Amino acid sequence: MGIGLWLLIGFVLYGLGIAAVLTVPSKMCRSMLAGFGVAGSLALLPAGFDALFRAHSFRAALWSIFNAGTITITADHLAGFFLIVTALVALPSSIFAAGQLQTHPIRHPKALSALYLALLIAIPLVIIAADIYLFLIAWESMSIIVYLIITSSERERSAYLMLAIGELGTLSVLIALLLMSGDHGSLTFSALKSNGSNLGIGLRWTVFLLSFFGFGIKAGLIPFNFWLPRAYTNAPSPAIPLIAGATLNLGLYGIIRINAGLLPHPPIGAGVMVLIIGSATALIGILYATIEDDLKTLLAHSSIENAGIITTALGAGFIFLATGHHTLAAMAFVAALYHLLNHSVFKTLLFMGSGAVEGAAGTRSLDRLGGLLKRMPYTGLFVLVAVLSISAMPPFNGFVSEWLTLQALLRSVVLSSFSIKIAFVTAGVGLALTAGLAVTCFVRAFAMGFLGIARSEAISRAHDASKAVLTPMVFLAAVCLLLGVLPTTVIPMLDRVVVPITGASGTGALVPNFFTPNETGSRLPSDFVAQFHNLGAQIGRNVIPGPGLVVLHRGGTANPVVFAMSTSYMFIMLLFLLAVSGGVVALVVSRRRKVERRRQWDGGVRDLLPEMTYTATGFAQPVRVIFEAILRPQVVEHRETLTEYFRIAIRRRRDEVYLIDRLVLNPVSAATAWISDGLARMHNGRVNAYAGYVLLALLLLLVIASFG
Amino acid sequence: MRIDELIAQAKVIWEDALEAAFNISPQEAEFHCKPDRMNEFCNWLHHQKIYHFAGMIVEERSNRWDIHYLFYEEGVAVRILVKTGGPLDQKSFQSISRTIHAADWYEREAEDLFGLVFEGHPRLGDFILHDDVWQEGVEPMRAGFNIGAALENHKPKRDWRPRRIVRAPGSFIMPVGPVYSGDAESVHFHLETVGEEVIRVFPRLFFKYRGVEKIAEGQSVDEALLLAERFAGTTAFSHALAFCMAVEKIGPTVVPERAVALRVFFAELERCRHHIGVIESICNSTGLAVAASQAAILEEDALRLACELAGHRYLFGLVVPGGLSCDLDTDRCCQAVNKLKGIVQRLNDLDQALTASSSFLDRIEEVGIITESQARDYELVGPVARGSSYCNDLRRAQPYLLYDQYDFEIPCEQEGDGYARLRLLFAEVNQSLRIMDQVTENMPTGPVSNPYSVSPGAAVAGVETPRGATWHWVRVAEDGKIARYRPITPSFANWHGLHLAVESFAFQDFPIVLATFGLSVSENDR
Amino acid sequence: MNKWIEKGLRTGVVTTPYPKGRDEAAGISPGLPDAGAEVQDDNNTIASRCPTDALQPTDGPIKVDQRRCIHCFRCVRNAGEPFPWDSGFEWASLMSEASVFPPSFRRSLHIRVIDAGDCGACLNEVKLLNNPYYNMHRLGFFITPTPRQADVLLVIGPVADHMKIPLLKAYEAMPDPKRVMAVGVCALSGGVFRSGFIVGSGVSDLIPVDVEVPGCPPPPLAILHGLLVLAGRSEPHQFIEPANPVEGGVR
Repeated sequence: MGIGLWLLIGFVLYGLGIAAVLTVPSKMCRSMLAGFGVAGSLALLPAGFDALFRAHSFRAALWSIFNAGTITITADHLAGFFLIVTALVALPSSIFAAGQLQTHPIRHPKALSALYLALLIAIPLVIIAADIYLFLIAWESMSIIVYLIITSSERERSAYLMLAIGELGTLSVLIALLLMSGDHGSLTFSALKSNGSNLGIGLRWTVFLLSFFGFGIKAGLIPFNFWLPRAYTNAPSPAIPLIAGATLNLGLYGIIRINAGLLPHPPIGAGVMVLIIGSATALIGILYATIEDDLKTLLAHSSIENAGIITTALGAGFIFLATGHHTLAAMAFVAALYHLLNHSVFKTLLFMGSGAVEGAAGTRSLDRLGGLLKRMPYTGLFVLVAVLSISAMPPFNGFVSEWLTLQALLRSVVLSSFSIKIAFVTAGVGLALTAGLAVTCFVRAFAMGFLGIARSEAISRAHDASKAVLTPMVFLAAVCLLLGVLPTTVIPMLDRVVVPITGASGTGALVPNFFTPNETGSRLPSDFVAQFHNLGAQIGRNVIPGPGLVVLHRGGTANPVVFAMSTSYMFIMLLFLLAVSGGVVALVVSRRRKVERRRQWDGGVRDLLPEMTYTATGFAQPVRVIFEAILRPQVVEHRETLTEYFRIAIRRRRDEVYLIDRLVLNPVSAATAWISDGLARMHNGRVNAYAGYVLLALLLLLVIASFG
Repeated sequence: MRIDELIAQAKVIWEDALEAAFNISPQEAEFHCKPDRMNEFCNWLHHQKIYHFAGMIVEERSNRWDIHYLFYEEGVAVRILVKTGGPLDQKSFQSISRTIHAADWYEREAEDLFGLVFEGHPRLGDFILHDDVWQEGVEPMRAGFNIGAALENHKPKRDWRPRRIVRAPGSFIMPVGPVYSGDAESVHFHLETVGEEVIRVFPRLFFKYRGVEKIAEGQSVDEALLLAERFAGTTAFSHALAFCMAVEKIGPTVVPERAVALRVFFAELERCRHHIGVIESICNSTGLAVAASQAAILEEDALRLACELAGHRYLFGLVVPGGLSCDLDTDRCCQAVNKLKGIVQRLNDLDQALTASSSFLDRIEEVGIITESQARDYELVGPVARGSSYCNDLRRAQPYLLYDQYDFEIPCEQEGDGYARLRLLFAEVNQSLRIMDQVTENMPTGPVSNPYSVSPGAAVAGVETPRGATWHWVRVAEDGKIARYRPITPSFANWHGLHLAVESFAFQDFPIVLATFGLSVSENDR
Repeated sequence: MNKWIEKGLRTGVVTTPYPKGRDEAAGISPGLPDAGAEVQDDNNTIASRCPTDALQPTDGPIKVDQRRCIHCFRCVRNAGEPFPWDSGFEWASLMSEASVFPPSFRRSLHIRVIDAGDCGACLNEVKLLNNPYYNMHRLGFFITPTPRQADVLLVIGPVADHMKIPLLKAYEAMPDPKRVMAVGVCALSGGVFRSGFIVGSGVSDLIPVDVEVPGCPPPPLAILHGLLVLAGRSEPHQFIEPANPVEGGVR
């Protein structure tokens, strides 16, 4: 069966699902949602794989529109990859959404289910759209559906903000696409592509800037991501895993599609810009995630961070591409795509966890959570897997992709331009700091949520979520582990996406097949292979068969540094060591010692009360103090006393306005208010004033016309 | 102001408020004030006439409450007792702590132990008897107190919650103690915080409350002396001295001159030893191990010196009503002073070395600042007050023994920070040595004790202990047994003010501030 | 910084020769009434001078209860014939042979100090064990902040009511094998606070005590002796019966 058929089956199933949830009684609605959602996603998955492994892109013209050309869809390797990611997220998310609807009924379950399935149609459409029409239609429907989903439960200003800023992005993307189409009149992507290589440098910059910021809005890049924490926080918990796991990717998809697909490559300056904006986004995102109290908002800021990491890797790829280092560019793109895939998986899992926690504990505030591990052991376990993954801890997937990203950045030593090297170093430092803060952030999130003692009644009565909620979490946790342990299987797949972009293969550098030198040509020098033989790299081959387990960066002759590591070996070693140490402990304990369980030492207080334990705010306080210059907190302290010395209360409020709000949103909205005030004043109702405006306008037009 | 002038003036101004005004002795006046005018009258004494508030003594007499408020004036040895009271079924009195904040804890204590309610006090309850183990209604200091019935009320209260005044998102209590550190006295701190800095500290004291005042009731003077000596062992001599002085005043018993001189000698020896101990703990709190060891050597030297002279390292069993229990010949006094001079010389070397250690000064300077007005309003005492230029020392303000005959200075510092308090300790040790030198030079001869006979009555005596002023109130009943023994201790006053020094401070400064305060829990908890 | 090192070095070694040799420096101990003294007291004159019943008249010679002596010196000063005085410091008494730690603990013990209402003097003497004169680290004794790592619970004070829960919690938190050392007269018998409504009559009211160190306060060397006795490195002054055997009994 071909990709077209699979896509058709998928779309039909989703469509049927919409019809089903709208017609069946409300009670059955959630099983319809789960059934059709899973079935559709199961169809989407082979479609994606088919697209990825085809030699030539799939292409189909659907129908013609009068006077404008034909609507076409296409699925190249890039599209295939994004289809797989979407399906991977959509599959468990549908079950989770149904499970959430079961335990936590919302006001309009039917509407939400229908919108959810509609979103599942819109996302693949964006990916396979091959002309501006279809792309715009799919893109817009996606935005509107997300807006409707967020407002489905309650009216939210944040949704308006998201829609408004999203429209601005769409507009700028549209202009960029139209600029690329030039005078030819054809609006298909292939036409754009052929036109793209002929664009002048000024136009290329314009197209880059417009599209980068347009798509950047969706991807949550600075400076236009102020909508994201608000929208994610208010999105209903059944749908947020899908929104966070799949729609964010589309912004990144757009950036890759335009800059690495339609245009040959962006200018070097543009690459540097992407690099810097990416790392700044990552740093700001994780900084605000680390100090955030609301679990969902924390995850939203962390999404910004991860979008930033991916963008940094993309920026590195663009620069390597522009400077002609094709293999390095391939490595960077592999890192970016790998991280994109990983982020979708663990962020979906984390949002599921947050939904389950909120459902059980009734709150998302980390200051009020605590002690959930005893009450919700399974949820806790899967969230722990996600937390380890997002904190880049081996053997989970986040480690591999962040390692690759950092390695790609380190390879900037081959570049000749000093200023670009500085940019790389800055980005690298930013990413390293981000990685450190990410550990702090998620240790805090997990410890404050799941460890310690219960801080509320609701928590001490909480229990694990239903199977419908836990099953998708198991699935995603397993994917996290697999993606972490088997990078050498994943990287060649990603390489298929990257080769058409860069013209070089990253696999050769990342997963050398020097274990099998007899097969089609190892590109490694034989003495190098021999060296690795001596280091014992061959051992793995005897233990686990495979095309090579080492993820490796091979320095060239100019830079003979070798970075190598293997998460697969690491995982095996880890299991081995765990087994050995467990065995030793068991042996020692059973033979000689008696294990006693006593209460923890609390300094002898009569009862260790929940208010005597560290809060999430307290945990993040050092970070707040260090980054005070960025956070610019407004601390208002108010001391209430009776007479002079009987202190009744010390009230302290600490407001940290989000940096982007402070620097972008608030000035813009203030300016807008100021301009509209001025405009309103101009409408003063006097006829001669209006006549004057007309005269002025005429004069202005004449002046412009005379210059033009 | 002379005491008869004050009485005359008060009689005019407070004609309708005072029931009686008279002087007990040339230095002591007593005012009987109507309960509903107490606040105004005490306010007038304290704020208009600048008499220091020393403490409050509640007595349950056979048919009425007697509540004494003790005031004193600097320099002229004037003491004023303001007495109010009412029938035993009157449970409610005016609180004066809104105007004289130093009375805050005294009123809370009386509420907890006697069941008296002080109207206008915003924060009564959960003080000495902890509310999480003792239910309300236990009034152990009442005459008819029944321990059996009280124990029925002795059960854990699960819904007890610590009092929190910090209202900030994510604020929490960092509990420290009651068993903490390696060798710290048992006290529980609630450090209210949002992380990194202490916004407010609540010391939860009285984990070591042993009910000394209750035990003393009905004991003979000799037995109660043991209590007075042993409720705060590190300043045992000063407290026993205050107790004996109060008892001797009731007697009245004249103490032989030689005993008086030796009492000064030992009191100053105890001050030296105590201050060296505090210096040691300050060095320890900043992690300066060599300095701490040096100070510890000197402390041990001083302890051994005391043991050589008086048979006991902490001078237990030395002071008795009527004098001292053993004599000390003048030669040994001289030898001791010479030994002590060596100790102080080494201490001054240590002082110099510390002053040259910038890393040490960084940690101790500008931490735990108490302003002069705070010290005044909280009536802080001892080195803590004098470090904030509130120079109040009973040896000067209310000369007792022979202190008005010796030439010495009361060191005083301006800054009110930890370093000011440390400098003060060094300076006071040197002054003590100076006094001891003069004592040995002019040592009177004669016996060291006069026979003492118990007689009924009540008296208060004030002594400047190493930690500050203490006042011991003793009432001896007709049968010669103690009817009421009430030590007002310096640590009680200074613990009250501790929170001022630790507000909005980094966690790591907390032990240092605590060490520079040189507080004793046992002296406070009694 | 180096001047501190110099200062430390210049001070030289001041540490006591005890337990290898004898420490006979002046002022290291206030002494106790000699328990071995054969003093006949027909008229109860000496015994009646004792305010804490540490001297108990019997049919024969006066019995000295070291658990109660608070060094008031009333039996030696201004009192006619002074009672014989023991100026040593090796006073620690053991409850039984089993109270000594097993041999593997001989070389090092970790101690958690619990202040259960002491007057500050006992605590100060415990603190002084760390000073260069006594330097208990050289003997392998360490004070630890958590009972989780402690072998010995060193309790001082008569156990004030509010300290009962912390004391029991600390005892429960200690891993086996654990020993309890009661230091000071208050911890042994309640001392002068014994008749209080809120004070017990010592540690053995609550938890079984293994070694008792009398004294008010016991000087540092006496406490050190107690620790050495627990570690099996020194002979106890005597074996005695527990004062108040608690539920669960003696070890």
